[in-house]
Amino acid sequence: MSSHLLLQAVVLGVLTGGVYSLWSAGLTLIFGVMRVVNIAHAAFLVLSAYLSWFAYTELGIDPLLSLFATVPAFFVVGVLIQRLLLARLRDHVTMMSVLLTTALAITIEGSLGMLWTGSHRGIEISYSTSSFSLAGISFPSDQVIGFVLAALTFFALFMLLRHSRYGKALRATIQNPDAASLLGIKTTTIQGIGFGLGLATAAVGGLILGLIHPFFPATHWAWIARIMAIIVLGGLGSVTGAALAALLMGVIESVVLVTLSPVWAGMIFYLVLAGTLVFRPHGFFGGRLAERF
Amino acid sequence: MRGSRLMRLFGLLVALIVLAAACGGDDPSSEDSTDTTDEVSDEPILIGASLPLSGDFSEPGKGVQNGYEVWKEHVNASGGLLGRPVELVIRDDASDPNTVVADYERLITVDQVDLLFGPFSSFLTIPSSEVAEKYEMVFVEPAGSAPDVFNRGLQYLFYASTAVAQDQGNYWAEWVVSLPEGERPTTAAYPIVDDPFAGAAADGIREILEAGGIETVYREIYPPEQTNFGPIAAKIADSEAEIVVGGTIFEDAVGLVRSMQELDYQPKAVFLNTAPATTPGFKDALGDAVEGIYGPSSWASSLTTPGNAEFVETYTEMFGSEPAEDAAQGYTTGQVMAAAVEAVGSTDDQDAIRDYLRANSFETIEGTLSFDDTGAPSGGGYIILQYQDGEIVYLLPEDVATGTPVYPKPEW
Repeated sequence: MSSHLLLQAVVLGVLTGGVYSLWSAGLTLIFGVMRVVNIAHAAFLVLSAYLSWFAYTELGIDPLLSLFATVPAFFVVGVLIQRLLLARLRDHVTMMSVLLTTALAITIEGSLGMLWTGSHRGIEISYSTSSFSLAGISFPSDQVIGFVLAALTFFALFMLLRHSRYGKALRATIQNPDAASLLGIKTTTIQGIGFGLGLATAAVGGLILGLIHPFFPATHWAWIARIMAIIVLGGLGSVTGAALAALLMGVIESVVLVTLSPVWAGMIFYLVLAGTLVFRPHGFFGGRLAERF
Repeated sequence: MRGSRLMRLFGLLVALIVLAAACGGDDPSSEDSTDTTDEVSDEPILIGASLPLSGDFSEPGKGVQNGYEVWKEHVNASGGLLGRPVELVIRDDASDPNTVVADYERLITVDQVDLLFGPFSSFLTIPSSEVAEKYEMVFVEPAGSAPDVFNRGLQYLFYASTAVAQDQGNYWAEWVVSLPEGERPTTAAYPIVDDPFAGAAADGIREILEAGGIETVYREIYPPEQTNFGPIAAKIADSEAEIVVGGTIFEDAVGLVRSMQELDYQPKAVFLNTAPATTPGFKDALGDAVEGIYGPSSWASSLTTPGNAEFVETYTEMFGSEPAEDAAQGYTTGQVMAAAVEAVGSTDDQDAIRDYLRANSFETIEGTLSFDDTGAPSGGGYIILQYQDGEIVYLLPEDVATGTPVYPKPEW
């Protein structure tokens, strides 16, 4: 075990973790704002990957440009799902939304399979397998692009939540929906926009997924389990917590991959999930449910 | 008023369906009585199979299905099996081992098929072959080649291909060991997916290479859901292995190659299981990086075995593209079963079909096949292919070769 290998693993871990953090930020936001566990989150990631892939291979549109269409579209779809489906669940939203979003995930998976078969796809662009190296450490271009894109999106989301009137209303809704609505905040509108925002981040996240990994309609199950573990560790509803937890898990996964074995690296997510639920059910970074961002 | 009329209509419909079902139930017995008077029946022979048409194995599953279809087309065009037309009953098991078991139960008990073909992959063959065994039905299968398929004492299972998993890379491994000193690599890395088939295939190669003095500097098993290959590739690169032998399936092979490429790790040779023969998916996913990669294949379009050219022609006509390995394996399965059924002269005596399969050899598009007591084929190895200038070139064995190896492989 050389120190060079360890350093390389940490670099790869940070890059991977950055992408995980964007994926889990959307999921944890949706949970925070309406106590909905969006099982379909990774399915939306895969859907976005397919749309970018289709736009690129069939229509010749640069994957980054396709974001101008997918991000607003996902936002609208998110608002509609909240308004037309989730809002009807009323008091049973936490439990019943699990069923509802699972159904959404299966519907997306099935539709993708019908449209584009079960074959593996990947967004293959000229720079996707190049890399540059610094002091002997390789930085794969696709992962660096993914990391930067994730960081930008994450930053935008953070600023929106932190410094806009809407963000304040949204945070108030997360902390205490009843008190927020007494103050005149239209919590149902806020919840719709919250769901829309969560899915909008999935549109960006899905493009990154497509750039880095091969995908097929059923790939989302492997991802959703992973990002679920991350948002529990980060504290459900805490966007910052999710980001920190994602970075941490990315590095831990990567280091375990090179020091112990791949089997342990896969298991580490579930060990952390179990450990967190036993010792710190509120997560390590979020404190009480989403008190702060 | 309207509601009640609808209800009556609905009731009538239900009654009709029940009646139809009852008549349907009577049908076979009434036809049986005509069978006794007339020896040759026009009643189709039903052949049942469950295939992974969705989920993880959907790509190869579809290939096998197409192979079965082409075989059916050929059989029916030449007068059918035992003079009767052939019909396929195919179910989708979604790559799920529980569903595949339920599917075969249903094929046997509800659909009452006359013959069975296998599913795709060792993973699905292992549970489903137990069902066929329980009902004592011959189970000729196209793609279950792991040791665990054959070591369970099954009497009715036959793997219709040229070599079991651990022998599939034999020709390649022997060629590597035969390289002159100086050219021959001294170290090898073996990343392996946790799958009954892929592990056995890579370890078969490892045994030959180790016996030939090539040191194993890396061997690790990753779970099937592994997506993050950067650190795995970094560790392989750090081991400075001169060649890489991947016990891979598909997605993982793509992830591994991309990660090794990104780390600028340049092995002299890369052998990957299964994925390279998956056309055109493998090349689509990797682009120029496929250059120089080796892989095994049970079949090649360049084979001059009897019927191979016709198989390729009909397949291309029916599906608009050249067949891949999986389709050929489906077709071979049909050929083996058909030969045994024709020889026995009936589909009723499954034990006779089984005994015939065990005792004889069969001409197929993959070559001449025969089986040992476990149902494993007694062949020497799979055909070895390599990507050269973006095309598949067959290297070994020599009688099917369309080119010579490029070694060391060009940098990616």
